[in-house]
Amino acid sequence: MTSAPGGWVIAKDMSDDAADVQRVLAGDVDAYAALVDRYYDRCARYAVRMLGNRDDAEDALQATFLRAYRALNRYQERDRFSAWLYRILVNQCRSVAARRAHRDRVFIREEALLLNAPDRTPNWSGEDEEFVQRVLNELDPLLREAFLLKYIDEMSYEEMSALTGVGISALKMRVKRACDRLRERWERIKDD
Amino acid sequence: MTDSELHPYVEWIAREARRPVVTDQAARDRVMAAVRAEPAPLHRLSIWSRLLAPRAFTFSPAGGALLAAGLVGIGVFAGSMALNRDGRMSVGRPPVAVAPQLPVSNTLVRFVYVAPNANQVYVVGDFNGWDTTKTPLVRTASNGVWTVALPLSAGRHTYSFVVDGSWSADPHAPLAPDDGFGHANSVKLVRGGSSL
Repeated sequence: MTSAPGGWVIAKDMSDDAADVQRVLAGDVDAYAALVDRYYDRCARYAVRMLGNRDDAEDALQATFLRAYRALNRYQERDRFSAWLYRILVNQCRSVAARRAHRDRVFIREEALLLNAPDRTPNWSGEDEEFVQRVLNELDPLLREAFLLKYIDEMSYEEMSALTGVGISALKMRVKRACDRLRERWERIKDD
Repeated sequence: MTDSELHPYVEWIAREARRPVVTDQAARDRVMAAVRAEPAPLHRLSIWSRLLAPRAFTFSPAGGALLAAGLVGIGVFAGSMALNRDGRMSVGRPPVAVAPQLPVSNTLVRFVYVAPNANQVYVVGDFNGWDTTKTPLVRTASNGVWTVALPLSAGRHTYSFVVDGSWSADPHAPLAPDDGFGHANSVKLVRGGSSL
């Protein structure tokens, strides 16, 4: 497995995905496990960062891989399987987030951590992860989605547009606004 | 905007968020357990190959006898069709009239999309296998009006436009329920006759 310039996780050979899909369509369900293994972690990172907690992320992931399985005969080989799967994932995350919005609201508390976090050398710990996640959660979902696709999944705007159905200029605006929000937060903290 | 242009704080957030999340095998196993409970997806393109694929049949002696009798019956029937009442072979006999089949595509539907600045517009839908390159719209002399007419069967069709690579639902048509694939689709009901 390797990374494409755009940041996608793709099979070592694109034919790996196509071959696995053909095996599944020929009745070999176990071949789908190879696709799940290949893409689960990448999808999990997006889902967790987008939804902010692992329970919702797992719901979205399960729904994503199930929907992809059910619709596998709609997948066309000239498309990248990863892009097709990610399109389903992004939409499932939107659905889970919408359902959750009815259920409750993300609780945002005043963060003493915000005051010092950028000053210290980032050490990856549970505390950092929790902090970063809270900062992401504070972004409007559409801005967060665009920010994650651009800077976490490192997609081009063309890939993002094909995936979300949103125009490139609108996506650029969302990414810029997300960055602005984060920078404004930093400015607020710095001045305190 | 490139990473080098990012504010250091934003860059730090992005870098930290790029770190992988820890997943466990149990979650993947739950996915596969759910997948195995599903009916197998059908291979769209293999219907004919499956119909034509060689397969083994087993018959009981009684079943074999019935099949043989049936084949003989078919032969006798075919023979009777080929002979006149006096036993002579008929030549140039007109074919037996059969009820006409309903045409698969019987209604011409014109798709129109207004996009003055677009370079390419395609329509995708259940009628063309959601192929994003199969059905281009043609720019008309009018300002930014793209159009194509397609023969569609009667019934409910879902479709969308792809404008310079971006999917766009028809702003003048009702939206289809979310299909789970991230695109907003529109609905066209074809009742028969022309929808041009």
